[in-house]
Amino acid sequence: MSEALDLSLRGQAAAVAAGEVSPTELLEAALRRIEKRDPALNAVVETFPERSREMAAAAPDGPLRGVPIVIKDEWPLPWRAQRFGAADMLAPAAPGESGPYRALRDAGAVIVGVGNMHELGASSTGNISVYGPARNPWNTERCPGGSSSGPASAVAGRLVAGAVGADGIGSIRYPAAYCGLTGLKPTYGRSALAGHHMAEVTTTIVSGPLCVDAADCRLLGSVLFGEELRAGEASGLRIGVIRDEVSEDVAPAVREACESAIEDLRRETGGEVREIALPELAAATLATVLIANGESLAGITPARLNELDPELSPIGRGLLKYRVLLPAAATLKSHQLRALARRTLASVFDEVDVIAWPTVPAVAPPLEAPLVELPSGTTTADQANVRGGALANLTGIPAVSVPVGSEEGLPIGLQLQAAWGRDEMLLDAAEALERANGRRWVEALPPLEA
Amino acid sequence: MEASNRADDFIPAGLAAFGIEADEIELAVIRAAHEMFWPPILELLDLEIDAAPPEPAPDLSQAPPR
Repeated sequence: MSEALDLSLRGQAAAVAAGEVSPTELLEAALRRIEKRDPALNAVVETFPERSREMAAAAPDGPLRGVPIVIKDEWPLPWRAQRFGAADMLAPAAPGESGPYRALRDAGAVIVGVGNMHELGASSTGNISVYGPARNPWNTERCPGGSSSGPASAVAGRLVAGAVGADGIGSIRYPAAYCGLTGLKPTYGRSALAGHHMAEVTTTIVSGPLCVDAADCRLLGSVLFGEELRAGEASGLRIGVIRDEVSEDVAPAVREACESAIEDLRRETGGEVREIALPELAAATLATVLIANGESLAGITPARLNELDPELSPIGRGLLKYRVLLPAAATLKSHQLRALARRTLASVFDEVDVIAWPTVPAVAPPLEAPLVELPSGTTTADQANVRGGALANLTGIPAVSVPVGSEEGLPIGLQLQAAWGRDEMLLDAAEALERANGRRWVEALPPLEA
Repeated sequence: MEASNRADDFIPAGLAAFGIEADEIELAVIRAAHEMFWPPILELLDLEIDAAPPEPAPDLSQAPPR
């Protein structure tokens, strides 16, 4: 049955629907695959075979009937509270039916395990977690990306064909880029969010799919959205690009691969490339961080900060305490900037259908020292990555990361962003890009244990 | 008064004002974060965008009203 496990997400769903494989057979194959490959990846931090077998046995006749899925440690399950990758998540956590759990269950999916994540969702690298870091299947000494590190590593390592992540500031797209996957950050509010510990306060976090390709993201995304994301034709695509100092501060191989992919996309769709300007982009990064920070402070008191679990990493403890010192005036200004950026984007999307730039400006850095080399010099991966990831979370627009190349065996991702509610068109564009490059990058496989 | 990003002044005073304790490693992390965040925070505060119309309670699932 391991052959069925190597099918795409939609291929597995079709095989179950056709009676070629049973949900139980697929689940047992996934559990065996996890047992064999995960020690090298640390992508899946917990399995619960009996619960999964119950889901497989009771799976309704939905679009994902019998298909094994990994879900990030950010979503509670009826039998397991989320840990948020941390020894202490500073928020009440309890088992429960999160929105993504309900959506998966009702679609007939089988949750086979919980995916690792960066501690407190606080980094784009995935190199710190209470479980130890997840590892990048393309090179296990490299970062898998964060904060949805385990879901990405699990799909890239072909433990499962689909995983559910969460994206508060790029946390689906960074690991998609580092691991060579397609990752969709939906329009704010379109995908299941209920049960998230910040569901009542967040204006940046969404759930979303991490899969090998766009068609699988469309299938898993439809389940999370609770509506079918219909396929269309991305023709005559108007592709917006930005040429400024920050946008050009990208490693040469990443820049070359993304420029080439943009040209491929233009040619495939019979479209055009237009230069655009987003004057608010530079400040948008900090504004997003400050807004997300403010929202995460709900319920945190100085007394609570003095009682942090000593198992929380020193970086996690220090950053939590620093958050309290950030000035409210800057957060207020961030909301003003959000309003301005949304208006600018609305005008830009009158002129273009998608905005394209590298998802991250350099390939996955070493786990031991997540630094990247850019034309401007050496910087932390987080400082570099957030520049490309934050805008979609600040403004609510959808974005997708698509694999478009590699450097020294490590994947490169192109990010496409579109206007509010145009998630379907983004996936159409991602599929056009796959056609243009002969699906070379979505079908590339990391070195995997047989 | 000239703006200061001197962590030695701001961090201990800020933490003390809230009654938050921090060990040496945490303080080192906080200083590094402050060095990274504070200059752009000052730039953000100086941005001349106050005249831009606000978008109260924005619906982030949709484009802003025109």
